[in-house]
Amino acid sequence: MTAHLARRTAQMLLVVYGVVTLTFITVRLVPGDPARLMEPPGTPETIIQLVRQQIGTDKPLHVQYGDFLAGLPRGDLGKSFRGGRPVGELIAAYLPNTLLLGIVAMAVATALASIIGIGAALRRNSVVDRAALFLVAVAQSTPNFWLGVMLVLVFAVQLRWLPAIDMSGPESFVLPVATLAVTLLPLLVRTVRQSFIDALGDDHVRAARARGIPEHRVLLIHVLKVASLPLVTLVGLQAGFVLGGSVVVESIFNWPGIGTLALKAIQDRDFPMIQGTVLVIAIVFTLVNFVVDLVYAALDPRIRY
Amino acid sequence: MDSQHERDEQILEILTHKLRTGGLSRRQFIQAAALFGVGGALAACVPPTAGQTGAPAVTGAGAPTGTVRFLVAESFWANWHPFLHTAQIQNRIQRQIFDRLVEAETADFSKPAPMLATSWRQLDALTWELKLKEGVKFHGGQEFTAEDAKATVELASGATDVKVNTAARWVPTTGEVVDKLTVRFKTKEPFGPFLLQLTVTDVVSAADVNKGVEPMKAAPNGTGPFRVVTDEKDRKVMEAFSGYWRGAPRIKTLTWEFIQDSQTRLSALLAGQAQVIDRVPPEHFQALKGSPNLVLTSVTGLENVNLWIRQDRPPFDGNPKLRQALAWSIDREALTKNLVGGASETALSHLPNRALFAAPQSPKYTLDPERAKKLLAEAGFASGGPEFILWGTTGFLPRAKDVTEAIADNLKKVGMKPTVTITDVAAIIDALFSKDKPGSVFHLSWSGNGDPHVSLATLYRSPGAWTGAHDSKLDDLIDSGARATKDADRVAVYKEVQAYLWENMPHVPLYNSDFTIAHVKALSGLRVLPNFNTYFYPAALA
Repeated sequence: MTAHLARRTAQMLLVVYGVVTLTFITVRLVPGDPARLMEPPGTPETIIQLVRQQIGTDKPLHVQYGDFLAGLPRGDLGKSFRGGRPVGELIAAYLPNTLLLGIVAMAVATALASIIGIGAALRRNSVVDRAALFLVAVAQSTPNFWLGVMLVLVFAVQLRWLPAIDMSGPESFVLPVATLAVTLLPLLVRTVRQSFIDALGDDHVRAARARGIPEHRVLLIHVLKVASLPLVTLVGLQAGFVLGGSVVVESIFNWPGIGTLALKAIQDRDFPMIQGTVLVIAIVFTLVNFVVDLVYAALDPRIRY
Repeated sequence: MDSQHERDEQILEILTHKLRTGGLSRRQFIQAAALFGVGGALAACVPPTAGQTGAPAVTGAGAPTGTVRFLVAESFWANWHPFLHTAQIQNRIQRQIFDRLVEAETADFSKPAPMLATSWRQLDALTWELKLKEGVKFHGGQEFTAEDAKATVELASGATDVKVNTAARWVPTTGEVVDKLTVRFKTKEPFGPFLLQLTVTDVVSAADVNKGVEPMKAAPNGTGPFRVVTDEKDRKVMEAFSGYWRGAPRIKTLTWEFIQDSQTRLSALLAGQAQVIDRVPPEHFQALKGSPNLVLTSVTGLENVNLWIRQDRPPFDGNPKLRQALAWSIDREALTKNLVGGASETALSHLPNRALFAAPQSPKYTLDPERAKKLLAEAGFASGGPEFILWGTTGFLPRAKDVTEAIADNLKKVGMKPTVTITDVAAIIDALFSKDKPGSVFHLSWSGNGDPHVSLATLYRSPGAWTGAHDSKLDDLIDSGARATKDADRVAVYKEVQAYLWENMPHVPLYNSDFTIAHVKALSGLRVLPNFNTYFYPAALA
């Protein structure tokens, strides 16, 4: 187990290192000079060059890369080109909002998917099953930017039940969570449904029923545990989607999260901020999948590290 | 209706009648209204002027109340030093925090009004004397005097050692303090736009200037109606300045917040989470017009959106016929009406249509493919071409992608070979300055303060960093326009400049931008000007 943990940690570090290195190079290959964007039209080239010196983009690429890597062990992600605030400080302020939104959305989506998927699996080919599959098809073909706007127009503008924008209280979570959850739902429902159908036909389930174990115990203990394995894997993968999807959802709902921070940083060619946000997203994503691996092992006794 | 209200109504009726018939000046009207204690109802009573939704100047009455949240489309990317940036959003928010010596309070930029200067006179071609307002305080508590006016203009105009961005729009101007409330300015050479430059020059404290650049970049200290209390990356919260010399603002808290997405801004307004939004795209007009509680105010901006040509790169450099062919190839009317919409107007000159001394030029360069093909042949492209990159932006000009693609279609029909590249502002600016992208043409805009000199000097005077301008005759014309201090002389010079530009077509002016703001009906007195300024004094929230 210890060896596995060490190996997985090393892999995680390698992935994160690869991601930040790729990001570091890519942002500098994309057209757009941050120094010129920071200065108004008509600024003389001497001033632009001075700004490049101030923000360090005049240095050779390998020197900039070395500076960046040297700061990482100290948690120094550099300073934003815009406003000069430490990148780590800004990310620390914005990241919890994204994580909270993502966790709530994942929890809601997983719970709903379990209910719908299990219900559909238990009544396979019935009206309930078909209705569930229809809903899944609708959700799958609904873009989240459209859904978010529609939810706002109905529940915030017309009915005035919920706020349209901002992170202001528990009620402000409803619409962004619903938008994210609907996007996550189709794959989760299909997975739950299919894995339940498979598990219901397993020998050990038939044996449990033959032994006269009550149906609810069969479902909760013998089916659920096996059927939930793919779901756990999927939740890990969906974490990446949630972090990516948050850019759109945060923009629609003016949610002060890391998605909007990253988007603005890209537009401004704010290299330290782009590198910082991508680094943090990469760490979160690999950590979630690391945890998923551990949970998987706990759920499936066949897996031993 | 109670008796107090009835009394107020009667007084207001009499005063308003006198104002309309010329029996009272606006200032006397305001003073009388304040004297009778009916100022609170004024915003709804004074007839609005063009491009405004309420009264241009009303003495504040009663304690400030209410919170106004204004969602803006441009991020706050600049600093607080009024002279070390040219960011439009920063200039607009500074209008709430700083005052100017002279004010452009309506859409008529030819009639500057007194602000911190109560009167002025031109002593000779170089010298102006201004009498200043007494009893004005900065937010930091300092009293405003002639020393502050002197320090402001000297710094803004580039007459000091401090490098400032605003200097490009000025000529160096030194000040002389005659007495505490009288200042005399001397421009290095005759400078026609002097008064109009004062309308966009925020007055700073001499003490702040002496502290150096960094403190001024960090926090604003003006004499304006609002002072900043919270300064976050995308959100600036201001509170009414109780010591404001024209009377405290009637809005207690004013928040400006950056929200890039126009749909999000619209949703917030419709849901009652914001009171004002800007840069409303025409496709949202219908949704807003259907609401009885919202007001839509559109003005034609002092901004020419151009087909912007690098004048120092082949094949467009030194080839006016080719540039004229571009102009005859594009259906500018259709772009304006069908794609941009709102209050946008087809450009009639290289100056924005509402700029001072702007005059419609002839021919109108309407769509004429045959004429364009003929000119192309004369320009050396009889068998088609030229090939070039046509750059368009995302997230900057409204419907820029659609407009750029429509232009490309127009150009292809006459045989030109544009390759459309749509990208963000960062990349397009990079392309504009890169030396390895010959013949590039850009869909870009430039806004000004109403005086021709600002845009002409920046875009067309050598060395044109943004345009590659290098035309000595044009340089002379632009300089003589700046030196002309009499209106008649300026009219003559700018007539010649516009005709010269129209003939040589260094850019193809496409249209003047639409600038539309939407706000709740409960907010009265908001002023929206073509120079994109949005004044929240003396607005009031019912």
